[in-house]
Amino acid sequence: MSARRIGIRFPGTHAGFAQGFARLREALDAERLAGTARYNAELVFEEIVANIVSHGARNGREADVCVTLEPRADSIVLIFSDDGVPFDPRGRPDPVIPKTLAEAKIGGFGLMLVRHAASSLDYVRTADDRNRLTVIVPRG
Amino acid sequence: MQLQLGNEVDGVLNLSLVGRLDTPGVDHIETPLTAHLVPRGASVMIDLSQVTFIGSGGIRMFITIARALGRKGSKMVLYGAQPLVAQVFETTSLNQIVPVRSDATAAAAVVHS
Repeated sequence: MSARRIGIRFPGTHAGFAQGFARLREALDAERLAGTARYNAELVFEEIVANIVSHGARNGREADVCVTLEPRADSIVLIFSDDGVPFDPRGRPDPVIPKTLAEAKIGGFGLMLVRHAASSLDYVRTADDRNRLTVIVPRG
Repeated sequence: MQLQLGNEVDGVLNLSLVGRLDTPGVDHIETPLTAHLVPRGASVMIDLSQVTFIGSGGIRMFITIARALGRKGSKMVLYGAQPLVAQVFETTSLNQIVPVRSDATAAAAVVHS
């Protein structure tokens, strides 16, 4: 039997983000996912999609975003597909931990949070010119 | 996301944030929160006990406001964060550069130190 999948498609805009996030939360409600796994699934969606909205547009055109949610017995799989600027997050370094507020960097925390929430992160640029990022969030 | 203003006592503001500090929440609250805090330059204690979610946008917002207040010789202390929100503070090490305390009493001790 194949795994159940829930697809969420929306434009890579602030309004699209809000619509997509609402649909993700409905799907997680239906899955009765709670606690740390629920928080981490939402956190991964938040950080990856916010990055697509902020940096993914190509030639002035917003990205088309499709998120697939695949609940498994021991994990939640989130697959992010978009036709925006090619971006492989795996090699991006975490920000240096600052010693003082003055030297703290403002950005770079999103991917750090994704890596912390996920047990696996896999990326390909597909033959049809889309980013495809697969993130596995453990249930336990 | 809502901002609930409390009293100002001995030059220290006390306020609460309520809701989600996700991208829409930060978009909604960052400008009014910054406008309320930074120009007057008072120290502030922020109650996070009713914040149910924070992402990197919220971390960025707190660093920006704390830095602006610090330039005026004032402090920002966060307190009462729920466990999963506190975990994000630890992962990003925000709690190493901005005071984060468990309750209002501990936060007040930092502001008045």
